[in-house]
Amino acid sequence: MDSPASMDSPSGTPFDEPAYLPSRLPSAYSPLHTYELPKGADRHYQQQFADMYFTRLTKLRDALVQRASEAWDGFELGGERAHMVERVLDVRQGELCWVVGTVYMELGRKPNVLDDLSNEHWIAAPPPRETYVSQAGLDQMMLEDESGRLRVTGETLHSHYVTGCVLAALGTEKADGTFHVIATQYADLPRQPQRWEREDSALAKAKQAKPKREKAGKLAIVSGLEITGTPTNNVSFDLLLEYLNGEATGPPDQSKASNISRLVIAGDSLARSSPILSREDFLAQKEGTENDGFDPSEYRAMAAQRLDAFLAELLPTMPITLLPGSSDPANVALPQQPLHPTLFTQSRQYANPPAESNESSEGLDSVTNPWEGDIEGWRVLGTGGQTVEDLLKYVDSVKPIEVMEMMMRWRCVAPTAPDTLWCYPFQDDDPMVVRECPHIYFAGNQKRFAKRVITGPADQQVLLVSVPKFSVTKAVVLVDLETMDVELVRVGLWRRRRRGTVKVAVPR
Amino acid sequence: MAEENYKDYLAARVLTENRPITYRLLSRALKVNVNIAKHRMLDDFYTKQNAKKPKSVHCTYLVTGKKLSAEETNGGRRQDVDDSTMQSSPLMSSMPEPEESAEEEEDEEEEPVPTTTMVLVKEEELQEAKAEFKEVTSVHIYSLEPGPLEDLDMLSTCNAEIATEYSNEDPMERWRVYGSIHNPYIKRRTAKYAPAQTVAPKPVAAATAKPTAKPTSAVQAKEKETIASSRRGSGSEGNTSSRPTSQPRASSSTMKRTDSKPNLRKDKSDIFKSFAKAKPKPKEAEKSKESTPAATEDEQMEGMSEDEGDANDTPTVKFDQEKAAASRKDRAERQERLRKMMDDDDEEMLDAPTEQKDSQDASSDKAALSQSTEGDPPAVTSQGGRRRGRRRVTKKKMEKDKDGYLVTREEAVWESFSEEEPEPRKPKPAPKPVSTAKGKKAAKQGQGSIANFFKKA
Repeated sequence: MDSPASMDSPSGTPFDEPAYLPSRLPSAYSPLHTYELPKGADRHYQQQFADMYFTRLTKLRDALVQRASEAWDGFELGGERAHMVERVLDVRQGELCWVVGTVYMELGRKPNVLDDLSNEHWIAAPPPRETYVSQAGLDQMMLEDESGRLRVTGETLHSHYVTGCVLAALGTEKADGTFHVIATQYADLPRQPQRWEREDSALAKAKQAKPKREKAGKLAIVSGLEITGTPTNNVSFDLLLEYLNGEATGPPDQSKASNISRLVIAGDSLARSSPILSREDFLAQKEGTENDGFDPSEYRAMAAQRLDAFLAELLPTMPITLLPGSSDPANVALPQQPLHPTLFTQSRQYANPPAESNESSEGLDSVTNPWEGDIEGWRVLGTGGQTVEDLLKYVDSVKPIEVMEMMMRWRCVAPTAPDTLWCYPFQDDDPMVVRECPHIYFAGNQKRFAKRVITGPADQQVLLVSVPKFSVTKAVVLVDLETMDVELVRVGLWRRRRRGTVKVAVPR
Repeated sequence: MAEENYKDYLAARVLTENRPITYRLLSRALKVNVNIAKHRMLDDFYTKQNAKKPKSVHCTYLVTGKKLSAEETNGGRRQDVDDSTMQSSPLMSSMPEPEESAEEEEDEEEEPVPTTTMVLVKEEELQEAKAEFKEVTSVHIYSLEPGPLEDLDMLSTCNAEIATEYSNEDPMERWRVYGSIHNPYIKRRTAKYAPAQTVAPKPVAAATAKPTAKPTSAVQAKEKETIASSRRGSGSEGNTSSRPTSQPRASSSTMKRTDSKPNLRKDKSDIFKSFAKAKPKPKEAEKSKESTPAATEDEQMEGMSEDEGDANDTPTVKFDQEKAAASRKDRAERQERLRKMMDDDDEEMLDAPTEQKDSQDASSDKAALSQSTEGDPPAVTSQGGRRRGRRRVTKKKMEKDKDGYLVTREEAVWESFSEEEPEPRKPKPAPKPVSTAKGKKAAKQGQGSIANFFKKA
């Protein structure tokens, strides 16, 4: 290579040796494998989903009983003291009591395979499933446990709870057999590990001293790259790449970019590459309204190649954690398993060979969705966003960030699985139950960016981040792993404002 | 030298070929640091050319900084931080976006976060764009093009060009040459199978793949055996340990007779099995000999697709297809035979209870027979791919006790087995009384039923 110093610019000033940018900060990273399914023949699909609900309830019951008895012990209404009832069917009419159970929502527009069958014979298109809530008052809420179901009424419940969340409900059974609820309790945030807890305990076991840890960098989270197979030009995508590898912009911004110690891609990296069509796509295809030449039966390698090229460009400069999403070529049932390394012919060279290790902390780590792991000592939990999206269909006028908060408080990452979300039929365990409270919880592919810090009863603090789709918002979220401050980086093209504001008056 | 080069290169590219060039592509083409490319070369060329001949070169800037927030632009909420800049295509910008603005309004209660914005701006709009920024941290020329671009997204073709033309450079050295951020922690595996983009190393790969395939298949076959045997051992152990702990005491205290019986029974069935299998064995061995390589080759392919599936296995795949088909057929046949064999075994098991009722002399006969087999190692022997041996299984046994009640007890029993698959068989359910049909069938099938013949007579 030519030495830059030997070059003279035409104006006589020499091209001085450019100062190299500061090196990338290290990324302390140790993924957990909570959501990995057994491989090959050990993965069975014959089990009944009832087991999942059962384990979920048993896992959360103790916490709920504790919470509820703290809240309602000694609670009196009309001279009657509230007491706990073990099973939902043991509730006696007229007694003031509380009971722990799993919510089941019977909603008028929940997808139903019988409806789907009858729809085949309809001429009119079925309504799109923006929400499962029907207007016709067909919705019912029930509380169930292993003994049976109890129909629940009470204003507070509707639009706040969804199928699969476990809660304690205080109320009385009325004459018509419904349980009128006065108040509810959720399990709230579980125990939160200390920062560096896992690393420290591992070191303590190995009788090693704790290393001096440097100041942590930032975590970049992006989702919904939605790379398509058709060669469209999208310069924003290039800008993202150039920002992250520190080539674009001037030295001050470039140095800031070097503080980003890891990139997390939270799902939907490829557009429409899911092996199974979504309900909407399927209907559209059946009606032939989809006219952009998209044929799901025909696999296009182009999109995967472009993603691979993107990753391979970026990987020499920063480590990447890659979660699959609903439109990625992974299994469709939660937990989605890591995207297969064969998709990434170039970038998998930065990953440990699967035969040796199922994690690579320095290069490309293709992980599950949901995914859990420690980054810079913090517990991070993230999903590709399907869980939030599906949950939103149960409720009216609730924001994604609120949904995320409720998920944490219910201690369940995917309460609506397996009811309306595809899910692996777990038998002995429900990993969707959050055992340890994360410090950062992000959900990808949301409409808009949002963040919130929630606190728990034992001073747990969780940063919730709803990561917007990059393909729509062109935004990357940066989380400072020292201060937990959140920043946004937006890239794009500048355009003159065209709406009815002052700026539009500028003559063109 | 790069110094003259860059002028010539840019002149050729922009003025002669009329193609746009980004700082990044220039840095790749001339192998210079990106910051030199954008701050010196593009800048220089742009000013020089336009000084010579105004408007001969058009440029696009990349503006980075913090945008004014909604209040500061005093344009009200409509002039929100991010609304106008983020469309990816010009088509979209011409469309009304009612939903988006509605969402923004909703969004306003959320606390704002510091936002860095990077936008591409055409030269004639630079001042206007900068006015929207509260703080501009950097402005540099992103690209040069012969004239104003209709669609800035066109610039991504430059990056596509980088991907196709400069992909064979060492990615680990990029930071040194181009000045991107260096990550000292990254590791890169040496490409065992080079990605398709670089020169396809088909002959080499094929050559290396072939020799490795052969030895490993042999090794694998061996490994299979050892693994299988060890697995078998563990399987039997698992069986014994899963047995209820109270069980041995019960059997030893109450039923001395049944205690000794199972072993006899066991040995006997072993012998019968050896009779029964005498014929199919050589054939089987032969079969397995020719089928194992095929199977392992299959495995080889599987392994590849699992981890390292690559361009270079295409030829081998083609080559293997016939073989694979053959082996598949083979395997199907083998499976069929195995299934039949299993059926045989079952019958033998079913025979067992009847043997139990044998007269004393018969059992002594058996004992004599069993002594001959005693020489066999009690564990596993494998002959020509077939494995035989003994393992301990728990069996349910129903008996009438002295009060006339039916008592079901579980007891550990040695059982011999012989099979292709190392997979331990599940303990047999309580033996059913042999139906006459079964007996007949068994008789037809030959050796195994000779004892039956004697017994029944």
